[in-house]
Amino acid sequence: MAKQLFEWDYSSYAGAKKYPNLFSPIQVGNLIVPNRIKYAATEDNLNDEHGFITDADVAYMRSRAEGVVGGLCFMQGVYMDPARKGQGYVGQAACWDDKFVPGLKRIADAIHGEKAIAGFQLMDCGRVGAVEVPSGHGPSTVPQRLRIFKPMFEMTVKEVEEMVQQHVNAAKRGVEAGFDVMEISGIVGYLLSNFVSSYTNRRTDKYGGDLRGRMQAVVEIIQGVKEAVGPDVPVGIRLCCEELLDDVRGNTPEESLETYRIAEQAGADYLSVTAGWQESIVPVISRDVPMGSWLHLAKRAKGALKIPVQMAYRLFIPELPEKAIAAGELDFWEMCRSMIADPYMPKKVLEDRQNEIRHCVACNLCLARLFRDAPMTCYINPLCAHEHDQGFYPQPVADDDKKNIMIVGAGPAGMECAYVAAQRGHEVHVYDKRSELGGTLIEASKAPYGDEELMTCVTYQKTLAEKYGVNLHLGAEVNADLISEEMPDAVVLATGPVYSQLKGVEPGDKRVVNVLDVLGGRAQVGETVVVWGNRKPGIGVALSLAKQGKKVTIVGEDKSAGFDINPSFKWRYAIYLRQNGVNAYNDCTIAEVGDGQIIVKTFDGCKFPVKCDTLVVTEREANEDLKSAVQGEGIEFYVIGDALVPRNLSSAVHDGYRIGLRI
Amino acid sequence: MAFDAEKEIYKTWRSKKAAQDEIGKMYMRWRQVALDLAGEKANPLDVSLKCSEIMGREVGKSWLPRMSFAKGEENWLKGLTMNYVGWWSTLGASIKAQPGEKPFEVFLSWNRCPWPTFCKEYEVPMEEDVLCCDAFLKHILKDVNVFFNVEYDIETLKAIPRGQGQCLRRLFKVEK
Repeated sequence: MAKQLFEWDYSSYAGAKKYPNLFSPIQVGNLIVPNRIKYAATEDNLNDEHGFITDADVAYMRSRAEGVVGGLCFMQGVYMDPARKGQGYVGQAACWDDKFVPGLKRIADAIHGEKAIAGFQLMDCGRVGAVEVPSGHGPSTVPQRLRIFKPMFEMTVKEVEEMVQQHVNAAKRGVEAGFDVMEISGIVGYLLSNFVSSYTNRRTDKYGGDLRGRMQAVVEIIQGVKEAVGPDVPVGIRLCCEELLDDVRGNTPEESLETYRIAEQAGADYLSVTAGWQESIVPVISRDVPMGSWLHLAKRAKGALKIPVQMAYRLFIPELPEKAIAAGELDFWEMCRSMIADPYMPKKVLEDRQNEIRHCVACNLCLARLFRDAPMTCYINPLCAHEHDQGFYPQPVADDDKKNIMIVGAGPAGMECAYVAAQRGHEVHVYDKRSELGGTLIEASKAPYGDEELMTCVTYQKTLAEKYGVNLHLGAEVNADLISEEMPDAVVLATGPVYSQLKGVEPGDKRVVNVLDVLGGRAQVGETVVVWGNRKPGIGVALSLAKQGKKVTIVGEDKSAGFDINPSFKWRYAIYLRQNGVNAYNDCTIAEVGDGQIIVKTFDGCKFPVKCDTLVVTEREANEDLKSAVQGEGIEFYVIGDALVPRNLSSAVHDGYRIGLRI
Repeated sequence: MAFDAEKEIYKTWRSKKAAQDEIGKMYMRWRQVALDLAGEKANPLDVSLKCSEIMGREVGKSWLPRMSFAKGEENWLKGLTMNYVGWWSTLGASIKAQPGEKPFEVFLSWNRCPWPTFCKEYEVPMEEDVLCCDAFLKHILKDVNVFFNVEYDIETLKAIPRGQGQCLRRLFKVEK
């Protein structure tokens, strides 16, 4: 008889009528899960250096548990060996001893407190582990391709057997801590995926050889864990459906599918489908990969298995999993990054508040931070990883402290500040000379390779601004007179950047145009284009023009193009620039602008000509306009976003949020 | 526009030559540091061979991200060959690659190489240059072989420092 841990009735919710499949129950092993939502195990680097759970992690998990509205909520994968070879993240939770159980219990209790099902994941990071020790372990000694990973050495048969037992022991501790579901991680280059793959497993003993041999460790772990936790605790596994390692002779898709069958035969109660390794040279989850691109893998798995199939991977809107579940191609909607960006995303779907979702923009900053031993951060969600800190939540202001706030600029910085301040009780007026919201994001979102998704930020901010009663004055330009006339208590300048001027170029020179006018379709652009500036705005407009068939060259002062793009995404742009024939002269300046060409000057003084019909300016500077007008009035004032220092969307949102909390 | 193409090209070319020259000299200076630390009892050739081994492995590792088996072994070998050619060209050698008669066999020929000149300038025996180059080339293959689960080797057939006019090497798949 299958058991249900918590009662949930979604029948009165509009979202449940809109997405009936997402909010229908399903049986996993002997457990009834009330809906098809899962927050997938995600590292956050929030725990202490010894692997003990912190308040920050408990609070982080509690919000995600509230978000899944009764579904599955998995804590991050734990490492299980005292030698710490399996530890892949500096703040990863540990479970190699009973002393970790009380901390783990805090997480299980927090999840249960939100009436969600608590999931526990066993994760030895194998090839990408050993973050705190000099070397790692794996099935075979295969050199690392990326220098950030430690050298690894082949495990003896005894060590493999110990590793299997460590999984079993950790699972027992997970159950003791109160977790309801066990999950084994065998993905993205972690230890069990190393055993499964022909790329990293060259053994000839019982743990190597053919696919059955390479799956032997996985089979032993599934069987051992199942026996240890008993029939009431479902045991699932995450495995690659495609390793995307053709360049190093990894498993074929057929072999991967066979691993699924073997896992099911071994007793797995569900299977979570993934694609790619951290080493794969194929993009999997970045913004340039269209949403839903990997659903065919779930469909393939469903065709081969009887157990429920789960998948995350660019399913950022509920319509995609709803449709896939209805079509019998998927059973669970897994989420990692979309619930990092908005922990309450599924809850908002259930309550039909979709416009209030702060959508992930698939920039992978979260991953870049984790890989560089920094705590989790979200590009778009300033509260992420600060859930335990009351100072990061908008606090209501007392009636006497309520202010009349003028925010100049309705871009992402201004709008973020506006709704947060309004939520706290201030009277907020936002002015913008444009007739629509979004500021320079309107043009930035027109760059290719998925940047249209950036506009979800504007939808979110607009909805919350309306909800909290922000007064919008669009098409209204602010000047000193207006400030004197309105005499607000506080002014926030979120006016965006000003674009740099090249020496020797007269204003109005038709050869020189601004990036906003180019992306906005308002500028005439020749066939041979030079883009001045090698940060993201320069790369975005260069790719946009190159895709129109123009010959584009980037010239910029940073040592490499895309200095402001996080490393987990930057490599994609490097490839796109190459594919689109865009040359980038980095560490260079423009010495002269002539007819039909410019002169580039290298850092060491060499000069050379580059053909140029049109020069696109993307270099930006802080915006000093209005500063003196406000300062002169003695009004409380702040400068945020690109007006303060030209940076990126994330900085704009984070600036806006913090100042919104502070005013 | 004030721009003298010949002057700018000359400036760039001169910088490149100077950089190539410094790479060789820097190696020789570090060789002397290693010999001083190793002490009088150490055989200079052993020290240099150890250096070639370490450098070869490091260079091989740096090639791994640029090599791919996705388009089959022939293309993979082409990639490996181009890495050899590119690496030596950057240092100032004139090097060409030609396919051999057997499958998975390539001949690499150096018609000009800066290293014998450096050896002469720093009074390093010419045979040390040959043996170190040989060790360096072989050790590049160490991690490449393990990583891609293949077995390739490279052998020296002719060497400029031996007065044979060119360096000729055979890169090949080991027959089992």
